[in-house]
Amino acid sequence: MRPRQAAMLAPAAAVFAVLFVAPFAFLFVVSFWRVKTFKLRPDFTFDNYADTFTKYLEPLVFTMAIGFAIATLTTALAFAFAYVIRFKAGRHGNALLVVTLVTLFGGYLVKIYAWKTILGTEGILNSALLALGLVREPLTIFIYNPGAVVVTLTHFLLPLAVLPIYGSLRGVRDITLEAARDLGARPARVFLDVVLPQCLPGVTAAFAFCFLIAAGDYVTPRYVGGPYTSMIGNFIEGQFSLKFDWPSGAAMAFTMLGACLACVAVSRALLGLARPR
Amino acid sequence: MAADAKRPDGGRTPLVQLRGLTKSFGPVVAVRPLDLDIYAGDFFALLGPSGCGKTTLLRMIGGFTEPSGGTIAIDGVDVTRLGPEKRPTNMVFQGYGLFPHMTVRQNIGYGLRLARVAVAERAGRVERIMDLVRIAELAERRPDALSGGQAQRVALARALVMEPRVLLLDEPLAALDLKLRKQMQEELRRIHRQIGGTFVFVTHDQGEAMGLANRIAVMEAGSCVQEGGPEEIYRQPKTRFVSSFIGEANVLAGERRAGVVTLGAGAGFAEAGADGTVSVVVRPEDVRLDPGADAEIRLDGRLEDVVFLGPYTRYRVVLDSGEEVVVHAGDAAGQAVGERVAVGWRRDRQRLVQGS
Amino acid sequence: MTAVSNALWRAFGALVVALMLTPLALVVLFSFTDNALTNFPIERFSTRWFRTLFERAEFWKAFGNSLTIAGSVAVISSVVGTLAALALARLGERLANAALVTLCFPVMLPALVIGIALLVFFNKTGVPFSLATVILGHLVITQPFVILIVYARMVGFDYAAVDSARDLGASPWVAFWTVTFPMVSTTVIGAALIAMAISLDDFIITFFTIGGGNTLPTYIWGKVRTYLDPSINAIGTILLALTIASTVLALRLSRYRG
Repeated sequence: MRPRQAAMLAPAAAVFAVLFVAPFAFLFVVSFWRVKTFKLRPDFTFDNYADTFTKYLEPLVFTMAIGFAIATLTTALAFAFAYVIRFKAGRHGNALLVVTLVTLFGGYLVKIYAWKTILGTEGILNSALLALGLVREPLTIFIYNPGAVVVTLTHFLLPLAVLPIYGSLRGVRDITLEAARDLGARPARVFLDVVLPQCLPGVTAAFAFCFLIAAGDYVTPRYVGGPYTSMIGNFIEGQFSLKFDWPSGAAMAFTMLGACLACVAVSRALLGLARPR
Repeated sequence: MAADAKRPDGGRTPLVQLRGLTKSFGPVVAVRPLDLDIYAGDFFALLGPSGCGKTTLLRMIGGFTEPSGGTIAIDGVDVTRLGPEKRPTNMVFQGYGLFPHMTVRQNIGYGLRLARVAVAERAGRVERIMDLVRIAELAERRPDALSGGQAQRVALARALVMEPRVLLLDEPLAALDLKLRKQMQEELRRIHRQIGGTFVFVTHDQGEAMGLANRIAVMEAGSCVQEGGPEEIYRQPKTRFVSSFIGEANVLAGERRAGVVTLGAGAGFAEAGADGTVSVVVRPEDVRLDPGADAEIRLDGRLEDVVFLGPYTRYRVVLDSGEEVVVHAGDAAGQAVGERVAVGWRRDRQRLVQGS
Repeated sequence: MTAVSNALWRAFGALVVALMLTPLALVVLFSFTDNALTNFPIERFSTRWFRTLFERAEFWKAFGNSLTIAGSVAVISSVVGTLAALALARLGERLANAALVTLCFPVMLPALVIGIALLVFFNKTGVPFSLATVILGHLVITQPFVILIVYARMVGFDYAAVDSARDLGASPWVAFWTVTFPMVSTTVIGAALIAMAISLDDFIITFFTIGGGNTLPTYIWGKVRTYLDPSINAIGTILLALTIASTVLALRLSRYRG
């Protein structure tokens, strides 16, 4: 690397090191500290991690389960949608892609709020059902349950999952499909033998991304999950904004990240096993 | 040397002098220490297969690649450490490197603008050069609206308008199709004649080198293995590599002992020189089937293949030694494939090179 | 058979598009009604909630803060990210890919984790929480997008054009400003707009690093937590308009497609 390139990389590297690596490393250190009379005390204790597993095991497991459900559902929908864009939509494909991209970088809170107003007891869905005479009383089954969290986060994550999958599907050249057909593969076999293996990296990336973002979310369960759908993120946030027990919060955050990575790794291995060969 | 007499300048000092010029990329040596003289008015070709270091050499002359050692002098001035913007050279890049955000006219005027040439003079020079390379009607187009041949002409005009002491061209015709390439070859010759400048170009196509250049340097693995006029290089190749890279050649292995060369295929003749392995090189058009009495070298074999190619017929003969000889003959001789035949040639048509 | 299955695929595509857009469309729709509750039937259309909103000083404060933060983030991250992308494009592919993956790591993490890490870090290093800390926090997640977008543009970049400029007498500095930058400027502006959209929309990192005051997302958050105020629809519409407009403009400029 020449000096000029190093100089050009320096600001970005500084942002990365000072505002990401350093805070992260420090948070990891803090996860071994303890709090006494609302003050941080440097220490080297595993109590915070032990507490996470004893006190918060249930939300942790619940978070992983709901994260897995959301990531699987989102990845499957995103794959089918990306497949339509790439192979089935013809000249409309670009329009579908633009729709996907348009809301990609905006509307996190608005989307959650929108689902709250749609699914709420006095919300849009219930008022529509009442107006149409399909129900006599507002239904309460739409909101304040894990299902609402799954719907909301799937909606939010869908564009984010479509992009990497579409990116890898775009790399599948038509000529490889024609070659497979020419060599005697039926459409289903072409899909299994040619399309799927080529876009597996994109699918894996989308799944991992959805899993981490879903499992780390706390705003969605707070808004639409109700009091009995608290995810680990809600407890982590609580340690910082209510209890001021940063070491516990830090330990819970790292435990969550570790659990996520383990789940993603296991899912990936399962996907590898299930793959036809 | 006889070749020097053919140079347009007689015996003057060279315009470009490379002395001990070398370039390594880490452990890879792209150009070995190399001396080369290019004279004013030359249309000079650096010819060689891909990876032989010819483009690296050109980029060192242009100032885009810093040499690992040696010097470059242009007009007697050492330019080795000067950046490209400070050298009296201009380059036509492979892929052209046109500025996509400027019109053809702006592209061509760019260098003059940087040199702070007055607006009126600049406009006049740009007009004249566009006329010279025949692109006046493209002046207001953007590069993405040009065909390959048009883009090539714009790139040429953009470099020529700077009136460089040396014009460098990196594989100038490689991106064009065959017909366009022939046309551009003629154009380049015409422009070179008209402005009388010094052109140095890189090519892997021996036909292009022969068709354009008055001097050719053949490069192999980072070294210049032979330099001379096209005919000299074709007729008197110094190595087996040169002989087979420039046109088609038959190469037969032999051995020299005490001034007598014996070919593996049978024939022998006297020629003074050091003992050891030698190769005899002879062009297919110099070999005869059923040779007459004037052919000093005669060998026997079997006719393996006959292909009629229009201007000539190509015969492939497998000698008794197992080696192959290709013959180009204008008149069909009537032999059938599989028959035993004799091939032969005059001694003054062959070249003897040391080694195998 | 093929025609039927193709029709089904297309119907599925249309359904997904409808699902993606409907919730947002409803927010926009209800922001222009007179309804006190966000539900049917719609009594009549009006700009009542926008007018209510525009009368509140706190809205304008949050709006101003959002623009200050997003504008700064767009400028800083596009400069920093573009420099890095240009340098990476000149490295070998393997080295560049390794650097890209590393620099993009923050995007893969939940914003909550980045938010709490920055909270603890700024607190312990004594940096006072302000709009500046929010800007610094946003750089962590916007910089990777700028680098990715500009780097993608540099793949297949015609370096011969830059060499040509040097050959024709331009110093490295002049060659950059007359050739390299004009060739990539639309992409850089596109990347800056994407950074702006991400910054405008971010709630979580902002929440942990702002200390006091509001941006548009934290303003929405405060309102949703306390009571359901139909003016939230109006703020949501404004936020959507800002982020979608900058994204659409960015897509047009950078021709970026993932």
